[in-house]
Amino acid sequence: MTDDSFIHDRTMSSPAGSVPTLDRVSTRSLRRVGIVGAATAATLGLSSCATDAPQDTWQPAGENAQMIHDLQWPIFMVAGIVGVIVLAFIGFIVFKYRDKGQPIPEQTHGKAWLEYLFIAIPAVILAAIAIPTVGVVFALAETDDTECIINVTGQQWWWEYDYEVEPDGTICGFAPTNGEASPIITSGQVVIPAGTKVLLRGTSRDVIHSYWIPKLNGKRDMVPGRVHYLRLSSETPGIYAGQCTEFCGLSHANMRMETVVLEPADFQSWLDNELEPYSSPDDGTLAKQGEATFIAQCARCHQVNGLVDDRGTADTADDTIVVSYPDQFVYSGAAPNLTNLMMRNTFAGATWDLLTPECRADVWEASPEEFGAAFLKGVTPDCFNEIDMREWLRNSPAKKPMYADAEMLAETDGKTRGMPYLALSEDQIDELIAYLLERK
Amino acid sequence: MFTTGSKLLLGATVASLVATLVYGILAGGLMGTIGLVSATAALGALAGIVIFTRDANIAADDIDAVASAAAASDRPGAGMWPLAIGLAAATMTLGLVTYTAIFILGLILLIAGAAEWMLQAWAERASSDARHNAEVRGRLAYTAEMPAAAAIGLGIVIYAFSRVMLGLPSKTSTIIGFSVAAALVLAMGALVGSNRKVSAPTLTGLFAISGVVLISGGAVAGLNGEREMKVYKTTAYYAAKDECGAEEVSADKHASQTVAGKASQAAEITLAADGLTYKKPGDVTGRTDALQLPRSNANNIVFRNETAEPRRLLLELAPDLEGSPPRMCTQLLKEGGAALLTVNFAVPSFDPAVVDNGGYAFTVPGVDGARLEVVVP
Repeated sequence: MTDDSFIHDRTMSSPAGSVPTLDRVSTRSLRRVGIVGAATAATLGLSSCATDAPQDTWQPAGENAQMIHDLQWPIFMVAGIVGVIVLAFIGFIVFKYRDKGQPIPEQTHGKAWLEYLFIAIPAVILAAIAIPTVGVVFALAETDDTECIINVTGQQWWWEYDYEVEPDGTICGFAPTNGEASPIITSGQVVIPAGTKVLLRGTSRDVIHSYWIPKLNGKRDMVPGRVHYLRLSSETPGIYAGQCTEFCGLSHANMRMETVVLEPADFQSWLDNELEPYSSPDDGTLAKQGEATFIAQCARCHQVNGLVDDRGTADTADDTIVVSYPDQFVYSGAAPNLTNLMMRNTFAGATWDLLTPECRADVWEASPEEFGAAFLKGVTPDCFNEIDMREWLRNSPAKKPMYADAEMLAETDGKTRGMPYLALSEDQIDELIAYLLERK
Repeated sequence: MFTTGSKLLLGATVASLVATLVYGILAGGLMGTIGLVSATAALGALAGIVIFTRDANIAADDIDAVASAAAASDRPGAGMWPLAIGLAAATMTLGLVTYTAIFILGLILLIAGAAEWMLQAWAERASSDARHNAEVRGRLAYTAEMPAAAAIGLGIVIYAFSRVMLGLPSKTSTIIGFSVAAALVLAMGALVGSNRKVSAPTLTGLFAISGVVLISGGAVAGLNGEREMKVYKTTAYYAAKDECGAEEVSADKHASQTVAGKASQAAEITLAADGLTYKKPGDVTGRTDALQLPRSNANNIVFRNETAEPRRLLLELAPDLEGSPPRMCTQLLKEGGAALLTVNFAVPSFDPAVVDNGGYAFTVPGVDGARLEVVVP
């Protein structure tokens, strides 16, 4: 068999109507590819029009995210242009030189100038990308301009924030209107003043987590035993959502966080409210019963600052300050501080809203000028998302996957990862909800 | 007289008897002893039967069968594997009534012995040339046998040598013993290297004697036990006894004076002429107010002494907290020295037990006023 005959034999030809010819197959395949491609492009195009995309990296809302955006946008453009050129060229070659039964052309090797060109072009592009990239990397690692430091600690599956008191008695540069400042501990939502360069100083209590608020900065891993930094700042009041981006166990997908940016005056109000002394519910109310239930059922892990046990016991006639000991029950050694729970919009690792959908929309969709007032209203009884909270109190491991099965806790010496099932009665849940609603 | 099958059963009988005596005398378990005696009796009976019937070979008057019988072919080579398998089976039985480790050892011996026996039996029938058969067997078996033998031999040497070294009465004698052993090995090597006429039997004898001496020494040292090891007291010991003072204690000897883990410190505390100051990651200047540290987390505190006098950092915790020492301290640091103190606060500083104890605080023994309060929210 000669070469020509071999090449000729490779073409698909058959009696009409029996087996599809190559041309007919190609046409059909091209049509299918075209449909799939068009559908994909339409999906991508339509998804880019989404307005409710709180974790969109293409909508920076802070200077750090803007730096990343300013870097990635031109790189994306260049990469896109290069990609389009390459794909178009490949498409052109594939189509023009498709197999039509022609002889295989002469094969040649070694065009030095072409190889040099193909090395030089990517090298120049990469060098052009590297120079601004290094600059942005160093700029994002800058800490000398910090105006406020907030400690953030990750654990399965929520984030804890604590605000330190500065030597001058301020927190993030804000002095309390009444009384002295003391450390503030919160969870789920970190509240920062607009226009302030905040430095998150992060670590983890159990496994590696990763902190990411896409609209405010890039990601930062939080590793147990190590301290990591992440800059956050924004001029625009609002809520910025994020998510843990390092797989951290069963409920990794339910480990969310939000950054709340408030105008300075609103931040001052928030700070003053956080530093308000504990207020016990009035005697004879359901909330007062809830306080006792909280002390009996919840306080061994959850701290409420200022909470005292005034029920009196055989051992202690005086009021006894209630101190939680989560390290005896929880593997991470911590549980969310619930001192002002109802000043947050979320609970259980920011997985569920404390607000009803309508009230949540009022806060999230508020204009920057109106946002502070909407957020500082906190959770009112009318706006309270009682359904999710009830389900959570009824059986939290059933609502959010957690390692709380006693038979599987031998490895952690009986300590749970997450909140265990507490077997609360419906009456106890009523009492706890009444009590928690006053925590603001 | 002893056929292949009888070797296996006789070996098992002897091993089982030894196991019975050892177990019966040392452990003294009634049920185990009864079981082992029964096994010994059963194995002995089987061995007798097999010897009597000569492995159930066919009768001599069956001429046709005799001509084609295995017994009519070349006599198989002598092998120790039946004996080894018998020993392994007895070891497994012993292990069943004593320790799992002995059972596993017997199992390993059984598998190894069976593999070797099968390989030998296969090789003996590879051809009619016994030399070729041996070569075939070696080519297959040596790849596993040599490394295994080397590992076992090295293990024995290392273990015996370590027993001798740990059994010597003092650190000095250990150094001398190690030096003498090394010198002897070197001398033997030099002797063999310089005198090429040393015969193989001489070398074998030399190695054998050395091996016997080493194993005997290891056995004797092992039976005598390790010498009493000196336990060095740490700062935790002195902290527990409330003896972390300004004076030097034994835990301060050979203090490293440097800290490598600079990247993940929760705070850096410095003692200078004007007292204690601290810096936290991200801080620019030193602070003298209360140091806030997180709860339920490992806090790496770096202490630096910038004064001329040797000083240590002392952290007062609460004496009545479960799972927490009452205090912690660093080693005594010279001027410019640094040390790391890792502390995990299990309870907040407003816990009554902490408050009653005066709160969490870093102090420097011997320096009045050097006190840094710690706030754990």
